[in-house]
Amino acid sequence: MSFVDRSAGMRRHPRTGQRRSPAAHRRRYVPLLQRIAGVNALLLVVAVGVTIVVLAPGRISTLARSEEAAVVLAAVALVVLANVLLLRRIVGPVQALTAFARRVDYSNLGDRMPGAEPTSEAGELALTFNEMLRRLEIERRESTGRVLRAQEAERLRIAQELHDQVGQELTAVLLGLSRVTERVPADVREGALAVQDAVRHSLEDVRRIAIELRPEALDDLGLASSLEVLCERFSAQLDLDIAGYVAPDLPPLPAEVELVVYRVAQEALTNVARHSASSRAELTLTWTPTRLTLRIRDHGLGLPADSAPGTGMRGMHERAALIGASLSIGNRRAQSGCEVRLEVPLGEWS
Amino acid sequence: MTTMVAAPPTAEWAQFHDDPIARTRVLVVDDHAAVRAGLRELLADEADFEVVAAVATAEAGIEIAGRESIDVAVIDYQLSGRNGLWLSRKLKRLPRPPAVLIYSAYTDGVLAAAAVVAEADAIVSKGKVGAELCRAVRHVAAGRRDLPSLPPRLADSLRRRLDHEDQAIFGMLLAGLEPAEVAGVLGVSPAVLESQLWELLHRLEGLPGAR
Repeated sequence: MSFVDRSAGMRRHPRTGQRRSPAAHRRRYVPLLQRIAGVNALLLVVAVGVTIVVLAPGRISTLARSEEAAVVLAAVALVVLANVLLLRRIVGPVQALTAFARRVDYSNLGDRMPGAEPTSEAGELALTFNEMLRRLEIERRESTGRVLRAQEAERLRIAQELHDQVGQELTAVLLGLSRVTERVPADVREGALAVQDAVRHSLEDVRRIAIELRPEALDDLGLASSLEVLCERFSAQLDLDIAGYVAPDLPPLPAEVELVVYRVAQEALTNVARHSASSRAELTLTWTPTRLTLRIRDHGLGLPADSAPGTGMRGMHERAALIGASLSIGNRRAQSGCEVRLEVPLGEWS
Repeated sequence: MTTMVAAPPTAEWAQFHDDPIARTRVLVVDDHAAVRAGLRELLADEADFEVVAAVATAEAGIEIAGRESIDVAVIDYQLSGRNGLWLSRKLKRLPRPPAVLIYSAYTDGVLAAAAVVAEADAIVSKGKVGAELCRAVRHVAAGRRDLPSLPPRLADSLRRRLDHEDQAIFGMLLAGLEPAEVAGVLGVSPAVLESQLWELLHRLEGLPGAR
């Protein structure tokens, strides 16, 4: 039968190449729709054949033989077609679910399969699939949270070590060198001063790295002042004019939210300094009772059309997702430059 | 406790009278042993300084200052336990308060703001070499102040975090008024202002157990 032939024909495919794409690989079976429709068509043909041969040998109507044959064939074809259409309605949702499942990845874990109702097996399947997605999403958020918390704890530890150990040792060295430099003979004085300068620079580096690793001000002074300090620091160090505006009387925010907002601002300003070729930028933090909005805008080159998100950008997205915030990074429409926008829903926290 | 009857002359007195014997009496407070030793040696090298003691904690510092006469206290901001600004305010409550020089790794504007409230006289970065530190010690010993100026934007943002009365106090201190003058302007007793200042400092830098 044709059905068997086709299935044999399909089986031949995998042998021809092993480097085939996964999609082609999946085609190694006969689709459910074809299998059921084929079996049904076979049963129908057998049933019609048996009816003609056994129940009404020779003739089943008063029509001419050729007409009779045409009617029987047309009826068989019609029933097969109706069967296929009915089956498609049943199998369709399964195929849609397959396509949806193939599309899901960590960037759209929040999407859900539509039409997930417990009214059919396919609906149940979609429902179960959505539940699994929800569990994955929660699990993903929790594990991201754990990773980020561990990262922050590690940064804090390194910053403290740098400050308490390396920084203090270098300070002691500098104090000792200061004494020595006063007393050395004139011919080695210059060398001693150069060493002293080198130690000073190392001390400054250690301090800068420690500050970047851990915004101490955040714990002491809260988000608003820390952002001000961040703007001041970027302005001073990087020849970048940053206008910062933080709305007064920010509502009390959980430490986690403050840290995410701070880190996103820090990363965005770092990107402005590194890539934008812009000499000025604006940072604003505003809020309404329902949301907190952080915006960092520059007047530079903007994002290249084919830019793939780097580690920094992925980090920003992951941090944003952690507190249920949305992050958008894109070129500004009206002017040149890029805008990073973080929106934190406030209802959940207050 | 704080009997200071036979206190030696202060640095100002010594300078005024050009007295080579009266030296500036310095207290060093730093919790890192190597830095403490380095400071002690550096300052002891100077003919016009006398290092009275070098201790590790704020508590030990206030105890020494209660017993001995101190002209200048060189204090690390970050100490284990109570920090350098707590010690600064405590020292300034003594009958004969020493000049306070905060010796800190970080000297950014936030610390400068808190230092004003803590009535410190100068902030010196740990990145400065010995000669600069000695110069700063002489500077405050002579009764002068040397605090880094607060960037206006930062001052604004800090002010926004305070209530009206605290804003007024903070503003006057930033403008260089003495606490006694501030109390006079506000019409409150020095004791009331005192507790307000502790709270202000507490709020400014999250000081643990300020009182």
